[in-house]
Amino acid sequence: MKDAVRRLNDEYGFKLTDKEIDIVAQQAEEAALLFRPLFEVDVDDITPLTKVDKRVIATPAQKGKKK
Amino acid sequence: MKDLDLAGLTISEVAPLIKKKQVSPLELAKNYLDRIGKLNPKLNAYLAMCEDEALAAAKKAEREIRQGNYRGPLHGIPFSIKDNICTKGVVTTAGSKILADWVPNHDATVVERLRAAGTIILGKTNMHEWAKGSNSINPFYGTPYNPWDTSCIPGGSSSGSAVAVAAGMCMGSIGTDSAGSVRNPASLCGTVGLKPTFGRISSYGGVAGTGGYTVNHFGIFTRSVRDCALVLNDTAGYDPKDPISSDAPIMNYTKTLGAPVKGMKIGLIKNYFDQATVSEVRQAFDEALRTLKSLGMKTQEIEIPHIDLIPAAQAASTRPEANSDHDHYLRTRPRDYSPGLLYNLIAGLLTPAPVYVHAQRVRRLICQEFDEAFKSVQLIVAPTIFAPAPSIDDCNRGYIEADGKNINLQDRAGNFLTRYTIPFNVTGLPDMSVCCGYSSKGLPIGMQIVAPPFREDIVFQVADAYERSTAWHKRNPPL
Repeated sequence: MKDAVRRLNDEYGFKLTDKEIDIVAQQAEEAALLFRPLFEVDVDDITPLTKVDKRVIATPAQKGKKK
Repeated sequence: MKDLDLAGLTISEVAPLIKKKQVSPLELAKNYLDRIGKLNPKLNAYLAMCEDEALAAAKKAEREIRQGNYRGPLHGIPFSIKDNICTKGVVTTAGSKILADWVPNHDATVVERLRAAGTIILGKTNMHEWAKGSNSINPFYGTPYNPWDTSCIPGGSSSGSAVAVAAGMCMGSIGTDSAGSVRNPASLCGTVGLKPTFGRISSYGGVAGTGGYTVNHFGIFTRSVRDCALVLNDTAGYDPKDPISSDAPIMNYTKTLGAPVKGMKIGLIKNYFDQATVSEVRQAFDEALRTLKSLGMKTQEIEIPHIDLIPAAQAASTRPEANSDHDHYLRTRPRDYSPGLLYNLIAGLLTPAPVYVHAQRVRRLICQEFDEAFKSVQLIVAPTIFAPAPSIDDCNRGYIEADGKNINLQDRAGNFLTRYTIPFNVTGLPDMSVCCGYSSKGLPIGMQIVAPPFREDIVFQVADAYERSTAWHKRNPPL
């Protein structure tokens, strides 16, 4: 991960010190560990969440309405 | 004008007096500005005041009301706006050094709607740098202080808004909430804090880079549940300027206030909210549950099978979304971020795209699990935060001491102070924090009330019933 941070450091021109590169790399490693369990979930038939109102639960008044 | 004690004053109390011309909007605005002048040096709640504009708006409100053109319950009501929400002609910093001098040329939709309702905008409130944190220790503008104990943080990121409402420095405030940034400071400062359903209030005019696109919500701070309903009435609704704004029908949110809650079923989620809750919060929450049961409500344990993945889904969503907005400044002004935020943003650049997309799929799965749970319960309640407000020293050293142990304020997912609120950002569910007690040190404790999407009416009904049965919300900070 340190190499990846160094590449970003060069590309963006952050001028990070070695100590700062260590801190960022450690954070990125922690994040990678955090994200790993997401891939242990079976989401084969599930599309990404885009908009909440696609799953509106009808209010009692709406439920009772005739079409 | 009637002699009003501004501490603890609610919109619902003063609005009828304004309507009857017993309270002058101009005198009210002047009184609030005086109070801010006295308290702000101690609390640091406001970053910028709009004194001239506020007095002009108050004069206009007074004239209109005198002429019989009363607009409604927010007419003449003093408000504040978090400093990451655009206000035309007023510097809007987002708590950052980078935007220290930025003056928007437009109002956010929520500000437009508040102005249309006749509110008086007093100023812009302090916040965590770029809204990327919840302790609000801000190296550029100073830390806002918790009015209940100024050695403690007020929470965040909408810290100044919560402080201003709790301390009687305005009657309502608008904040933003990507991970708990309205509910968290509401809980720590003892106010009502509503994060409505995703898309319920337009987020047009929110400063880019201060909230993940798929998890950010505009929210409301007030002193009472009824006040909050009044504010939502005037701010909710579809906005063609905001692509993620919802066209789901709005309602009169005061309609369910006072309605009986007998027979309603409360869901209690297993194995998430009890992981680190300190004993004082647990006791206050248990007592709140007893109160709700005494009103005839029932409880039922519910399971959200993938709830443990919420911190990962939240982080995997917000980090890339934030980076999309910060790329330009990361390339041009990296050292104008505080070091901690800079490191966090750089680490966020290393989040692979498949992680982001996969997190959105897991989010839908979790939403479906909540939908399933809501088939057997009408609402969910939980503590808002695992502990009362930590001290500033606690935050600087990274842990609190409670129940004979040290509890870290950071974990792998980032911020532990938002662990209990992020489930409702990931799912977009409406969620309100209300005060449910005080710690032995006199610090407020919050309970969150959550309902299915767009059922803010249920949130208001239950929160109002709870508020009527308790007196926590009547306490004022010792200022």
